[in-house]
Amino acid sequence: MKAFISAGRRRLALSAAAAVMAGSMLTACGGGAATQNNGPAVDPAAGKDASGSINVCGGKDASGIYKGTAEAFTKANGKVTAKYTEIGATTDEARTQAVQRLEGKSDECDIFLTDVIWTSEFASQGWLVDQSKLVEANKDRLIPSTVETTKYEDKYWASPFFTNAGLIYYQKDKVAKPETWQQLYAEAAKAPGNSFVYQGKQYEGLTVNFLEMLYSAGGEVLDSNGEVKIDSPQTREVLDFMVKGLKDGSADRAVLTYNEDPARLAYESGEDGYQRNWPHVYRLLNESALKGTFGVAPLPTWEGGKASGVLGGWNLAISAHSKNQAGAVAFIDFATTPEWQKHVAMDFSQAPVNEAAYSDPVVLAKMPFAKELLASVKGAKPRPISPVYPQISQAVYKNVYAVLSGTASTEDAVKNMAEEITAAKKSF
Amino acid sequence: MSIKSLSPGRGVSARDRAERRLAIRMTAPSLILMALVAAVPIGYALWLSLNQYSVRTAGLSRFVGLENYITALASQEWWAAFGQTFLFAALSVSLELVLGTAMALLLNLAFKGRALLRTVVLLPYAIVTVVSAITWQTMFQPNLGLVTNVLSALGLPGGDVVWLGEHGYAMAVIVLADVWKTTPFAALIILAGLQVISAETYEAAELDGASKWQTFVHITLPLLRPAIVLAAIFRTMDALRVFDLPFVLTRGANGTESMSMLAYTQLRENRLVGEGSALSILTFLTVMVVSVVYIRFAGGNIREVAKEEQ
Repeated sequence: MKAFISAGRRRLALSAAAAVMAGSMLTACGGGAATQNNGPAVDPAAGKDASGSINVCGGKDASGIYKGTAEAFTKANGKVTAKYTEIGATTDEARTQAVQRLEGKSDECDIFLTDVIWTSEFASQGWLVDQSKLVEANKDRLIPSTVETTKYEDKYWASPFFTNAGLIYYQKDKVAKPETWQQLYAEAAKAPGNSFVYQGKQYEGLTVNFLEMLYSAGGEVLDSNGEVKIDSPQTREVLDFMVKGLKDGSADRAVLTYNEDPARLAYESGEDGYQRNWPHVYRLLNESALKGTFGVAPLPTWEGGKASGVLGGWNLAISAHSKNQAGAVAFIDFATTPEWQKHVAMDFSQAPVNEAAYSDPVVLAKMPFAKELLASVKGAKPRPISPVYPQISQAVYKNVYAVLSGTASTEDAVKNMAEEITAAKKSF
Repeated sequence: MSIKSLSPGRGVSARDRAERRLAIRMTAPSLILMALVAAVPIGYALWLSLNQYSVRTAGLSRFVGLENYITALASQEWWAAFGQTFLFAALSVSLELVLGTAMALLLNLAFKGRALLRTVVLLPYAIVTVVSAITWQTMFQPNLGLVTNVLSALGLPGGDVVWLGEHGYAMAVIVLADVWKTTPFAALIILAGLQVISAETYEAAELDGASKWQTFVHITLPLLRPAIVLAAIFRTMDALRVFDLPFVLTRGANGTESMSMLAYTQLRENRLVGEGSALSILTFLTVMVVSVVYIRFAGGNIREVAKEEQ
């Protein structure tokens, strides 16, 4: 026991020395190692007497929601002005750019739009301001599953802005509204024109598509204690089910090259029956030749299981290096109000984080599938919560892809997945 | 080894020594600049590769020596990427050299509008690789793509293949995209080589009654060798560092992950700075070794040419 302690101490001293060396070296090169931020939670009342200007940073503003919210906030607030800065064209690019600014302690951005899967990583690095008190104060107007995506080690590091959950689009004249995944696949196998398209390329989207089925089949990646649970009968069952679907023609083999947009384009050709995609596709399909021919359904249940899904969406995080935290709080207060959340749906076709918005008549007129969307959102679960999430997701999508493309057996892939996730969790 | 032979003073006049000092002084600025732009980043990457940086706790790191290299060299992923990158390089560079030589021979003929055509063939090379990769992706898309549709319409095999979702086929698309883009570059270098071959050599061959083929094999090819080797070195170094084509087309699926992609994933996506830097250094060393081998075994001609010119 004694030897263990002294060895531990020695290692601690060594790593501390190494940290100092690395820290000074990084600083010398202009990088600057981030420091752990254990600062107090931001005061929810701080927004009331805020002034000055704030800068909101994020990815490409395809729906116009970021700019639109900044403008509406500036008009409504009167004291604080907000502007939106696009820092990357894709999600990956936006993350890289955000990480660079945060590592460099830049105060350029007061608020970062963060993908729900970045929370643990950004929080563990001390890059974000603790929003626990703010989230607690706003909790009664936010859908609980969306709040969960901002949590890391019992604290809330962001506020949900808009959410996202998978939906099934189906051709009403050819196929039935799906109740279970088994029924969907059986129906899809009946004729080539009934087939199912989803996102099966080797990338993050495949992790989402796979987890949607795994969660509804009762499987999981990590349990609530963070233990690896992927090596399970459910994982095998879902993988075999997906492989069988590719073999019997339920799903076109082309899905192995599809991310969101190619899947939508293929579906728009009218040669498929079902499509799994995000809510924003509704507007695009309505502008295509398929207008009026398709229905929208929440994700199906697993036979004998339950309905589930995987939460997407974007949160608002305050940078630890922001010089105007009060202004940022005011912005977040505005963006999460039930009133503005209606506009999130009506003006920008995004899924609100406020439940009442889904049953508002004005919203329903613009988003007739709001009820199905709310069902999907409420049933959805977050992806594994871990600061090494990118590695965990790679272990999932690379191995799932290997099984789907026929280069690995289910058994080997499940074993690999478990091993790689366990190794990722041990990352220093 | 005697000290005498090492000493520069012997048999060298004072003037020579002064000149040598002057040479050092004159090259010093460029050497220092080279050190700054090349050696510093490489040295920094080397240092990073000998450490581990925590992805859990900000600012925490430890010196691990060669551990990152051992992990990389023991991993199946590295060797798979290594093999795939070499396969890609071998296929694409050999096709580019053959087609590039043919293209150069055509462009060297005297015809009207030659200057314009020489500019036009460079167009693919001027297009950003990511953009051309997205174009290829669209063309090979199942059901909707131009290539798959044309193949189906003509009743040729491949029309119903999911090209980017299949082992072998995916590599073929990536090689094709690279050949399309960089063959003009190889052609341009080889064309420059063609133009220094004097017309007299060909006249002499014609007088001796050599056929076109004999002229090509015995005169053009040997005299073109330095240019072809140069094109091969440039193209091989580029091909071994390939990143954008597989990144856009397949994300590394179906046996197309390259060494650079692996390094990128570790560095950028996973923020494993130590491991990622070790992979970058390994990629760098691989490219270095290959270039040295090239120059040693295939580049004899280049040195001879250089000597003759002196």
